Amino acid sequence: MTAPGGHQLVNLTIEGRPVSVPAGTSILEAAKTAGVLIPHYCYHPGLPVAGSCRMCLVHVEKSPKLMPSCATAVAEGQVVQVHEPRADEARKGVLEMLLINHPLDCPICDKSGECELQDFTYQEGPAHSRLRDPKRFNAAEDFGGDVLYVANRCILCTRCVRFMESVHQDAVLNVSERGDRAVIGRTEGGDLARPWAGNVVDVCPVGALLSKDFLNKARVWELDRAASICTGCSQGCNIMIETRDTSVVRLKPRPNPDVNAFFMCDHGRLDYRWMNRQDRCAAPATGAGESDWDSAVTAAADALEGRRAHIVASASLDNEVFWLLGRVAKKTGGTVAFAVPTGPEAPLPGARDLALRADRVANATGAGLLGAARKDDPFAGVGPGDALVIADLDPAGVPVSALEAAGAVVWLGTVHPGSLSKLNAALPVANVAECEGTLTNLRGRVQRHLQARPAPGMARPAWSALADILMALGEEAGYQTAEEAFAAMAAAVPAFTGMTYATIGLRGAVVASSAEGAP
Amino acid sequence: MTIKVKVVERPMEEVSYLRATAKGLALTFKHLVDPHKVTVQYPDERWDISPRWRGTHRMLTTEDGKAKCVACGLCPTVCPANCIKLVPGEDEDGNRYPLVFEIDEFRCIFCGYCQEVCPEEAIHVGRHYENAEYSRDRFVYDLQRLMEQQHGVCEMWDPSDPKGE
Repeated sequence: MTAPGGHQLVNLTIEGRPVSVPAGTSILEAAKTAGVLIPHYCYHPGLPVAGSCRMCLVHVEKSPKLMPSCATAVAEGQVVQVHEPRADEARKGVLEMLLINHPLDCPICDKSGECELQDFTYQEGPAHSRLRDPKRFNAAEDFGGDVLYVANRCILCTRCVRFMESVHQDAVLNVSERGDRAVIGRTEGGDLARPWAGNVVDVCPVGALLSKDFLNKARVWELDRAASICTGCSQGCNIMIETRDTSVVRLKPRPNPDVNAFFMCDHGRLDYRWMNRQDRCAAPATGAGESDWDSAVTAAADALEGRRAHIVASASLDNEVFWLLGRVAKKTGGTVAFAVPTGPEAPLPGARDLALRADRVANATGAGLLGAARKDDPFAGVGPGDALVIADLDPAGVPVSALEAAGAVVWLGTVHPGSLSKLNAALPVANVAECEGTLTNLRGRVQRHLQARPAPGMARPAWSALADILMALGEEAGYQTAEEAFAAMAAAVPAFTGMTYATIGLRGAVVASSAEGAP
Repeated sequence: MTIKVKVVERPMEEVSYLRATAKGLALTFKHLVDPHKVTVQYPDERWDISPRWRGTHRMLTTEDGKAKCVACGLCPTVCPANCIKLVPGEDEDGNRYPLVFEIDEFRCIFCGYCQEVCPEEAIHVGRHYENAEYSRDRFVYDLQRLMEQQHGVCEMWDPSDPKGE
């Protein structure tokens, strides 16, 4: 029997469950497919195998000694037992040794609640320590970047060392000293102020490497999580937005082998404070001041009536929004334009096609596919016959000359428009963390993001506000959900043909016209 | 229409109230001379309350007057009434401490789980029952108020019965 990739399939039994996996898979990975979690510390699927922690020892029938399951390949007819007296005893011994110098300061440790040492000790560790000697003490050390190293909690699994060496390919970390004095050290003058170094916090199985940004902010079990997409650049890394009492407190990478493996860069990771900003546009307004949605939508439609829509949008808006903006432009004979801020590109050498991209917006590809034009100065050429529609931009970035030249101004924004010199209608919309939608990354992968926190005040998703404007202009756009808006777009735009929220799932799907991996 | 009422003829000794009055007064006069007293002369006298009494909270402090709490978040997690509000923060020495620690004593059901779960032996339910206040908002105890409480604290189990633990 062969797997789809042409690999030979191997049949074995793990904990009494039959498993078929491609040849060369480790027992640990094979066990995961059978729903058996073999405890492990040094093994991480995104890193080279070290086999040093001895936590993943399992009993393999006919083998004279216990085998490290992370470093043992599966073989035909193998019978693997994870919970068997000898293996349990061995792992219990490993845990007792790891806990000798571990301070057990879980109450003040940020990792508490998502700590693998905590989890496995609860599952199968010793209930009491037999140690009577004092524990080793080392002071906490600032590793630079966003990383704090608390040496006392370290179990020397070397995941961080291997991440920096093999994935970041910038060997800043090492194991210094020997024996019971061993700690993670930095090379002379080296620090973790590097674009992808924040991932060592995620790979660390215990609370030894902590994010300084998240330090003492919340307990992880209080956090609510929603799958989302990073809008820091056009790579479209899959992330989890974690919120506490509806405010976003941290972003974590969400594994997706087709996009970001297990990682995300520090630029994206620390770029979440704008999601919580307080100067939000929370109530709709007409030229006369705050109003209700119906009046504001009517005012927006009146502003567009008889004028060409000159639409300037943020290129991090959703595909659905760009499609509806395109329809507004088409209806009025106008255009949709966007500018793309850029920054230096920072690749992660050890991962396939993964980098902090130069284009620091999430959906330039999708905007292009949906008929929007990338321009250096999207406000250029606004005339008195134009209705300037500003979608999700900062009021400070809107040139006064364009406002004065425009015949009418419609503000569709997350940020409060403040005192724009001309304003016919302001519609408050939800930001990427507050609504559902899809974004297209630079390889043409359409990915969904879910809602993580409520939108402020009367704000609504941008697709919903635009659908109302289109209906006021006499178009057919009665969408109740983002899914319906996406389905209508998929039916109308060839690049998205056949896609639905269900088929995209949380892994994404590639648009028809672009082959993944092509530059 | 007239209603016929059946009148029962009872003997005099049954319908007379004199016997019942004498009986009641006998009990009253008995208590007047009986040395066994039930009424406690509060507030001059108070009952001894059980060592396991669970009353309003108290936060214990270290020797230098700081709250023992490290803001680990276990008490708000375990609290079945959701009455503890905790926001963790860092003090000037980089130590974890509660920026906000509030207990809504109205919502509290005095189960004592917060004391039982506390790894630092910081929050305690008190051996205390005099909680009257002039306004409702005074029943949300903040950290300062919890630290100022001086009353005794609950023994979660009877110290004379080690099996109770």
